[in-house]
Amino acid sequence: MKAILTDITKCIGCLECVSACKSVNSLEMDVPRIWQKNDGLSADNWTSIIQKPGPHYIRKQCRHCLEPACASACPVGALSRTEEGAVVYDSGKCLGCRYCMMACPYGIPRYDWDKAIPYIRKCILCHPRILQGKQPACTEVCPVQATIFGNRDELLAEAHRRINENPNKYINKVFGETEIGGVSVLYISDIDLGFLAYKQELGSLPLPKTTSAAMKSVPFAFVGMGAFMYGLNWVIKRREKLGDKDKPNEDNKHE
Amino acid sequence: MNRVHITKLILWMITGFAVAVGITRFLYGLGATTNLTDATPWGLWIGFDVMAGVALAGGGFVITAIVYIMRREEFHPIVKPAVLTAFLGYLAVIASLLVDLGLPWNIWHMMVFWNPHSPLFEVGWCVMLYTTVLLLEFSPVPLEKVSRYAKIRNFLLKFRFPLVMLGIMLSTLHQSSLGSLFLIMPFKLYPLWYSNILPIQFFISAVALGLMMVALESLVSSYLYRRPAEYHLIAKLGKTVVWVLLIYFIIKMTDIVISDKQELLFNGSWESILFITEILIAIIIPMIIFSTRRFRNNPAGQWIGSILVVSGMVFNRINVGGLTMLRATGDSYFPSWMELSVSAGVISAAILIFLFAIEKFHVWETPPRDPEAEPHKLPRFDTASQTWLGIPAVAGRTKYTLIFILSFALGLALIPSPNIRSRGISLAPVAPARGGDTLFIDGNRDLYGVSFNHIRHIEQNGNKKSCIICHHMNIPLDKQSGCYHCHRMMYESYDAFGHEWHSHKSGANLACGKCHLEGQEKNAISAKKCDQCHIDLIPPGALITIEQYNAPAYVDAMHILCVKCHREKVPSLPEKPNLARCTACHESIPPDYLKDTEGNHNVNTKNNRPYFNRVMLPGLK
Repeated sequence: MKAILTDITKCIGCLECVSACKSVNSLEMDVPRIWQKNDGLSADNWTSIIQKPGPHYIRKQCRHCLEPACASACPVGALSRTEEGAVVYDSGKCLGCRYCMMACPYGIPRYDWDKAIPYIRKCILCHPRILQGKQPACTEVCPVQATIFGNRDELLAEAHRRINENPNKYINKVFGETEIGGVSVLYISDIDLGFLAYKQELGSLPLPKTTSAAMKSVPFAFVGMGAFMYGLNWVIKRREKLGDKDKPNEDNKHE
Repeated sequence: MNRVHITKLILWMITGFAVAVGITRFLYGLGATTNLTDATPWGLWIGFDVMAGVALAGGGFVITAIVYIMRREEFHPIVKPAVLTAFLGYLAVIASLLVDLGLPWNIWHMMVFWNPHSPLFEVGWCVMLYTTVLLLEFSPVPLEKVSRYAKIRNFLLKFRFPLVMLGIMLSTLHQSSLGSLFLIMPFKLYPLWYSNILPIQFFISAVALGLMMVALESLVSSYLYRRPAEYHLIAKLGKTVVWVLLIYFIIKMTDIVISDKQELLFNGSWESILFITEILIAIIIPMIIFSTRRFRNNPAGQWIGSILVVSGMVFNRINVGGLTMLRATGDSYFPSWMELSVSAGVISAAILIFLFAIEKFHVWETPPRDPEAEPHKLPRFDTASQTWLGIPAVAGRTKYTLIFILSFALGLALIPSPNIRSRGISLAPVAPARGGDTLFIDGNRDLYGVSFNHIRHIEQNGNKKSCIICHHMNIPLDKQSGCYHCHRMMYESYDAFGHEWHSHKSGANLACGKCHLEGQEKNAISAKKCDQCHIDLIPPGALITIEQYNAPAYVDAMHILCVKCHREKVPSLPEKPNLARCTACHESIPPDYLKDTEGNHNVNTKNNRPYFNRVMLPGLK
């Protein structure tokens, strides 16, 4: 299972990763549009550098959750998680409902709002390149190895090693290790990265779990409602039959 | 003109308007017509049309349950209108969904590519199936008209009970699953609305809404067609709805207390005000009205009560469907007038079909008569225009067609051209560069510019001779024309050719034949190119080229020129590896003179933008 580890303390904000991403994925020039969020990501920018005072440079991209909310939300399975850990998109299946954009806790998926035939656009961890045995374009070009690619367990070990070596430098937390069930794009940092998501602390419950209980009870609700309605009808019919002998008074029962 | 005709005229007008907007949406995309953003991908069309539409159409399953399952025969007169409304409601939901979906022609994918984990998959299937069920439930009514189809009709009537059962079961599922849609957004939806039992809340509120929708339909049609409404039945529905609302209220409040959110109720935030308003108009006031005998039996009380429940529950769907997520997403969204008109148009079309059906078919026990449709009246001949005006009923149709076409044209005319031309780019006129020896070039005026050392560029490129490398230097009276003089738009090309000036007497005073050759169509493509007359337009040694009359967008002009030159310089300057990188020009940190007195970079507080580098380079090859 592949992953990316980004060390915020190392990033120099050179934007090489951004331009490499653009050229590898043949993305168009990014024009500021009224519908863009102000984090630099857009349909043509799949990764961006957010600058925080300090200066700190935080590379934002899809987190490639181990249990992705977007993939569980997509009604046609256009988004799916591969064995390699990348959450990829099949534009041939998509219907454009944008439920994935609603479901993502990091607000990552972007939309071709200006196109008559629009698609969802987001980082796919350079999945075709991983299949070729290469690493993603962004980690390959990073001149200071601030963002590195590898197996998730090895990167986690590396992250903890760096934190333990320099406990004063880093916040004692690998961002993405456990949140919402763990993600594949990990960060270690000297500032809190809660702003990358819609909430500061996301908790460890994978988001697909929130709907799975309701979805599992669907067949039971279906059959249960049917049985209840049929039973109710049977009881009322029977009472009508009996009522013919006695007095027809159950009319007031529901009023 | 009577109530029915005026209503129909207005409805046709809104529909025509919406059709124009709908066509624009499909030609130019969602960005050109809606105010949706990356942070608010669902807006009015989902929050109101789909979410509230499904709930509003809940009258169908509620009333069929009352009549066919609980065998309350006295409600039979309102079954057919309720089923018809539900059917049309679902058609309206599907229509708005097709407008909202990015790729609506792929909607059949739901049937082929399954993802049973998705609540939306479940909702989609149920809506498809239930719409079919409703069609089968209602089709005996129009089939009654044609004796040929009596067999089909009898066949359908035989299956009425299983169909009703199936309809109720499907409704239970998708009414509640609409709530499940939002379970996956615990971080976005405001806690007062987010709840693990959202599906149950949605189902119960749909029952209450369905009951009141049936009542409201009866009241509205009685108003339009001046017929007595079923007041005694509405009073009974009112009695029932009190209990449903009570259960809903108890469940909702218990959930809030159990999950310890009660302090959010009265903290004065706008969400708490929304919540209290919603509870008041959807639950508390209608409960008071319908539990009082005097109000319940009074038409005015019934009107107010049913409107309050209906609007309150619609309000609830809008709140859950996106309105209360704005705090978490930090976005602002208000539907554009185009979104509003499409929503209104879909509803108007549905009402028009409803009115058509109740006039043509045996939907009510006593079908309403169109007061102007008097078939015994003869067509009139208009001597002035030498035409037959037709019987009044036909004249009505002419009116509707006319108003439809007029409002369609008006709709097309009102579509804002910048939205279409620039496909949702906010127009960004270029601002001149500021500064002296070091220019701060901030074309799009967002304070994220480029520090350009002009003096150093002159020195390194051969002093005075170097001007022509970057500047055209050939505009009349050109001394130090800035780039912004011709490249006037940040992201769009700009027609730099002054046709008016070239042809006008007080300008160049050129005859047409000077540029447009004899026998050729007079247009920009066939005309002479600029450099055929202005032979010095591109000075020798310049990096710039001229292909069109259009001056490229400012951002393109700068990138093409600067990046090209910098790339050429890289191999000869090994000590400057960063020369062709974005950061060579785009400073990561705003310049010093934008610091406030405490040394913080106090830029763009107006837009509250965080610091980030906008990379506007085309894909580097």
